[in-house]
Amino acid sequence: MRALGIDPVHDTRRTFDSLLAAMSRPGTVHDVPAPADHAVVATLLDHEVTLSTDDETLRDALAAQGRLDHAPHAVADVVHAREHTGWDVRDCERGSLTEPSDGATVVYRVDALAAGGGNGTTLTLSGPGVDGTATLSVGLPEAELTALAAAGSGYPRGVDAVFATEDRVATLPRSATVEVA
Amino acid sequence: MTEQPAADEGAPGEGTTDGGTPTATDTADGGTPVPTASVDAALASLEDDGLRGYNYAYLDEHTKREVRRAMLKAVAIPGHQVPYASRPMPLARGWGTGGIQASLSLLGPGDTFKVIDQGADGSVNAANIRRLADNTADVTTTTDTTGADLIQSRHRIPEEVLTDDQRLVLQVPITDPLRNVDPSDAANRRRHAHANYGKMWVHLYENVVEYGEINIAARYPTMVAGRYLMDPSPIPRWDVPKLDDADHLTILAAGREARIYAVPPHTAVEPLAFTDREFTVERFPDQACHACGSTDTYLVEVSEEATDRGADAFETRYACNDTSFCEKRREHPELSKDHHLDREGVDWGPGTPDAAADDDTGSAADQGGTGQ
Repeated sequence: MRALGIDPVHDTRRTFDSLLAAMSRPGTVHDVPAPADHAVVATLLDHEVTLSTDDETLRDALAAQGRLDHAPHAVADVVHAREHTGWDVRDCERGSLTEPSDGATVVYRVDALAAGGGNGTTLTLSGPGVDGTATLSVGLPEAELTALAAAGSGYPRGVDAVFATEDRVATLPRSATVEVA
Repeated sequence: MTEQPAADEGAPGEGTTDGGTPTATDTADGGTPVPTASVDAALASLEDDGLRGYNYAYLDEHTKREVRRAMLKAVAIPGHQVPYASRPMPLARGWGTGGIQASLSLLGPGDTFKVIDQGADGSVNAANIRRLADNTADVTTTTDTTGADLIQSRHRIPEEVLTDDQRLVLQVPITDPLRNVDPSDAANRRRHAHANYGKMWVHLYENVVEYGEINIAARYPTMVAGRYLMDPSPIPRWDVPKLDDADHLTILAAGREARIYAVPPHTAVEPLAFTDREFTVERFPDQACHACGSTDTYLVEVSEEATDRGADAFETRYACNDTSFCEKRREHPELSKDHHLDREGVDWGPGTPDAAADDDTGSAADQGGTGQ
C-alpha cells in the first residue's frame, strides 16, 4: 500500500497489533500509522473481502493492486465511512446465527477520540475485555452511535466498529454492552 | 543414519562397531556431528540461511490478512469458532500449524517470543517453532514466561501469572467441545447458533452417574462470556480457571480444523458443572515436585530408572510440568506465581493446598479453590 504511504509489511503489522489490542480492550485508544482509517482498511482488505467506501484515494490505491472488490454498504464485509454515513448502519451485514463472523466491520473516520471523557459523544462500555466499565468519547453524532449499538442488539449477530482519527484507533466490538450518553 | 557421527572426523573406532569402515555415503548423508545436549544447541549448530528470500515472518501478506481478520472477529465474538483459510505450513497439520500461523501474524521485530510444548521449552516441536520465528521474524526468543510478549503453547498455560501486555496462543487439535457428544459438525454448529448445550449437560450427568464425579481430564467444556461453549484446548483442568477474568488475551488456533477463537481479557470463563458436583482441578495429595519441592504447581508423573535399587528398577516421581518456573523455583523455592507483578495475591489457578487438605474429600476448595 505504498500508494497510501503505508508499508505493506510493517505498517500493517503495527496497525493490526493496535487493532487487536483495541478490539480485546474496548474503550482503549491505540496508536497506528497515519492516516489511521487508510491503514486499517489496508490491513484488512484484499480480494477475498468486499469494501464499501466513497474515498477515491483508497479505492484507486486498492484497485491498482487488484485488492478492491467494491460492494454496496449493505452487503460489504468492510465498510469505510467518513464522518457521517448518509445511510443507516443497521442495514449493514450482521452475519447469521450459525456464522456471526460474517457480520461487517465498519471503519469510521472521526475527528475526536478519547478514552475517558472528551468533547464527542460518550459511550459507557462493559462486557468482555472491559474490567468493570470504561468510557470512550467518539466524535460521531449520538444518533449514529445509538444505531450502531442497536445493530449489535441481536448478539451474536452484529457489526464491529473501528473508530479512526488521523493516527489513533479504538473499537466497539459487538460483544460490548454500550450506553450512549 | 542421521544419528551416526562422522567417523572419519570423530574418535576412531566409534561408528564402526559393525567392524566395517564407514562408506562415503555415511559422511555425505547427514554425517555431521551435532551437539546433543539440547534441541536448541543442535539447531544452533546448523546452517540457517535456508530461509533467505522468504517474506517477513515467513507467511505471505495475503495469509496474514486472512488470519488477522479471523483473529479480530474471534475477539469480537468471544468463544465463537471463526473459520479461516488455514495454509500449508512447513510441518504436518496437527503439529501446531494453527498456532504458528497465529503467532507469525502477530509477531513484530521488537517482540520476545516463547514457545512451550506440554510445559517444556526444550522439546523438538517447541525449539523448531522458536527457530522458525527467530529466522524469519527477527524476534528475540526466551524461555522466561515473565519476559515474553507472545507465548505459543501446546496444552498448558504457564504457572506464572500472565499480564496485560502479554498474549497467549494455544494450539488446538479439536475445536468443538460438542464433538464428544455428536460427531456431526453441522449439527453442532446449529447448537452453537442457538446456545443449545443440553446434550453436553446430559453427557456430564452421565459422567456423574457412572463415576460419581465429572470425569473429563482435559478439553474441559467451558462457557465463555455466558454465550458460547468452548473447548479450551487440551489444557489440564488445573489451567482452566486461569482463563477467567484474565489480564491477558488468549487466541486459540487450529490449523487442521481451520478455526480460530479467542478469550479476551476480563471475560467470564466458566467450566460447566453442577451445583452439587463442582468443577474440580487435578489433585496431587501428599506430592511435591522432586526437583524444586513445589506443591502448588501442576505435577506430572515421571518414571525414572532407580539405579541404586539394581538393574531394571524404576521409581515413580512427581515433577513440575512447567519447566521454566521449576528452574526458577529451584533457585528461589519461595518464589510466588505473581512475583513479577506490583500487586499481590493474584488469583491464578489453584493455590497452595493447606496441610489440612490431605483428607482428599474431592472438594475443590480444599485444594485452593477453582479460582472462581
